Amino acid sequence: MTKITVNGREIDADPKKPLIAACHENGIDVPMYCYHPGLRPVGSCRICQVEVKQGDAPARVVASCRTPVAEGMVVNTDSPKAHDVRRECLEFLLKNHPLDCPICDKAGECDLQDYSFAEGQTKGRTHEPRRKLEKRKSLGDVIVLDEERCILCSRCVRFFEDVTKKPQLTVADLGSRSVISTFLDKPLKGNYQGNIADICPVGALTLTRFRFQARVWNLSKHLSTCAECSRGCSVTAEVLRGGDTKRFRPRFNPKVNQWWMCDTGRFAFSHVNAADRAVALRRTAEGLEACDLDAALSAAANTLRGKSNVAVVLSPFSTNEEAAAAKALAARLGAKTCFVSPAPNALKDDFLHTGDPCPNRRGLTDLGFAGLAAADVAGALAGAGAVVLAGERVVELLGAERVAALTGTRAVLFDTHCVDAPALDACIGVPVHVEKDGHWTNVEGRAGRLTIARSAPRGVRALDLNLKRLSELVSPAGAKA
Amino acid sequence: MVIVRRKELSLRERLYLPEIARGLSITFRKLFEKPITRQYPEEPLPKNEVTRGQPRLVVKDDGNIACVSCGMCEIACPAYAITIDGGETDRPIEREPKKFEIDMLRCILCGFCEEACPKDAIFMSDELELADYSRAALIYDLEKLKRPKSALQKRIDYVYRLNNRWRKSSSTS
Repeated sequence: MTKITVNGREIDADPKKPLIAACHENGIDVPMYCYHPGLRPVGSCRICQVEVKQGDAPARVVASCRTPVAEGMVVNTDSPKAHDVRRECLEFLLKNHPLDCPICDKAGECDLQDYSFAEGQTKGRTHEPRRKLEKRKSLGDVIVLDEERCILCSRCVRFFEDVTKKPQLTVADLGSRSVISTFLDKPLKGNYQGNIADICPVGALTLTRFRFQARVWNLSKHLSTCAECSRGCSVTAEVLRGGDTKRFRPRFNPKVNQWWMCDTGRFAFSHVNAADRAVALRRTAEGLEACDLDAALSAAANTLRGKSNVAVVLSPFSTNEEAAAAKALAARLGAKTCFVSPAPNALKDDFLHTGDPCPNRRGLTDLGFAGLAAADVAGALAGAGAVVLAGERVVELLGAERVAALTGTRAVLFDTHCVDAPALDACIGVPVHVEKDGHWTNVEGRAGRLTIARSAPRGVRALDLNLKRLSELVSPAGAKA
Repeated sequence: MVIVRRKELSLRERLYLPEIARGLSITFRKLFEKPITRQYPEEPLPKNEVTRGQPRLVVKDDGNIACVSCGMCEIACPAYAITIDGGETDRPIEREPKKFEIDMLRCILCGFCEEACPKDAIFMSDELELADYSRAALIYDLEKLKRPKSALQKRIDYVYRLNNRWRKSSSTS
C-alpha cells in the first residue's frame, strides 16, 4: 500500500490502481466520464483532473485516471486551479453536446448533467453552431446511438476491447468530425451490447427497449438477482410506479458479474410483467372457480390428505426458502421431490452466461431436490397418487399440455398463471421473483439475494408461507401423516 | 376595552315614519338601477390572463404537442395530480407523451407545473368550471387537455412578461 495525501487526508492507496480509484475508494468525489473502474483508463475526457504535488516540483494539474499513485503524493481535488481546469474541459465537452435534457433519456442519471449543474455553467461562450449529426443511428437490435449527444469518451469502444475481447466499435473520422461507429457500419453482435448503454456517461447510447419509456427518477430501484442463468448476476430491478419492471441493470458484485450482465437477463421482464395473474382457485362442480386463499389451501389439503405416493415438483426459480418449505411439506406427506430442469440453452459463452436456465440449480440440489427434464417429470407424475406443482413458471417449463394430460392423479398447482387441467383441484398464485424475498445459490455456490421490488397482486402470498400453511392443514402439528 | 354608548335618537328619528320613508326611497331608487348581481352560470365571470384556471397542454401551430414528457411537472406537482408516460416519435423532437393524465380532483391549481415546464408546454388556462358525474371522468387525458396555442396565448404572454426578469427568450422551437 502506498501512502498519499488527498485534500489534507492521509490515505492508503493501491499502487496498482490509478489515483482516481484511490480517491473514490476513500469517498473523495472526482468527476469522471471516460474512466470506468472496469475498463482501461485512457484519459480522453480530462474531467478528472486534480492538482498533484510531488516532492519539490511545483504543483501540476494531471488527469487522475492516468496518474499512478506514488509515495508521498500530495493531491488537492478542490483547489481553484483544479476547478478552473475542469470547468474549461466541461465547456469544451458541452460545446457540441445538445442541451435538451428534458428530452434526453439519461437525464437524472447523467454524469454530464450532474457535473454541469454542480459547476453552474449556464452559458457557453461559443458562437459557432453545434455539430449536426445523426440522432438515431441504429447499432443493431439493442442499441441506438445519438451521435450529437456523444462526448467521445470511448467507454463503449473499450468495453468491447477489454471486457468481451471482441472489438466492435471504434472512433471513426478525425478531429471535430469524430463519431462512434461500428466497423463497416455493421450491426453490433453478441449478448453483451446492453452494457454499453449502462456505461455511457451521457445519453448517446440508449437501449431500444427502454428508450423514452420512463424517467429514471420515477423508477424505484431494488436489489435483485438475474433469473436467466445459473450465474446469478447481481442486478437492480427498476420498477415504474410500483407496476411494470422497466429494466434490469447490473449491480457491482466483484465475485460474480463485476459491472456487467448479458442482454438475455437485461430484457427478461416479459414474464415478470405478465398480466392476468392467478390468485386462488379451487375445483367446484362447475370447474375451477376463484375463491379466497384459505378455501383454496384447504381444497389443496383435502386433495393431499391421506394420499400415498405423492410427488412434489418445484420450479427451478424457487428460492432456497421456498425449497426448504417444500421439503418440509414433502417430509410430512412422505413424498418424492424433484425440480423441473430445462435443458441447457445455446447462450453459453466464456464470459457470464452459463447456458443453464435454472438460476437456483445449486441451491435446490444442495437441499436434496433432483433436477429432472420435463418429460422425465411427467413420467414420474403419471403413477403418483397426488402431485404438488410449486413455483413460478412451473407449468410453462413442464409444458401446459403435460399438466393438462395428467390422469389418474390429482394435482395442486402453485403458479403465477392457472392452467385448464382436469386433474387440478386447486391453483394458488405465487409471487414472481421481483415480488419476493429470498435467496438463490448460483453455480459457484454464492447466494444471490432477491428483494421485493414491487408488491404481488392482491391476495397473492409468498410461496413458502403457503407451503407451510398447507403442511399444517394436511397433518396438524404433532400428528404424523 | 371600548365602551360604545347608544346614540341618542333625534326627534325626527323618534318619529319613525320619516326614516321609513327615507329607507323606502333608497329601495325604490335601486329598483331602477343596473343590478350588480351576476347570474353566474349563464353569465360567466370576467377572466383575464392572471386567472389561474386548470392546466392545459399547448398544441403548437404545426399541430404537434409541445410537451416532450420530461416529467418536470409531474415532479413539481405538490398534489401528485400528474402522471406521464413517454414514448418515441419520428419527429426531430424525439419524445412525446403517450399518456398524460391530470387528476383534476387532485389538482390545486397552484401553477407549479407551468413554472416547472422547460418547454412551455403546460399553461394555466382560464377554464375554471369542473363538474361531472364520476371521478373517473375528472381524470383528464391527453385529448381533454390539448388546447391550440392561440387559445392560451394571453396567458403565455403574461407568463413571459412575469418571468422576463430572468428568462430572455422562448425555449419552445
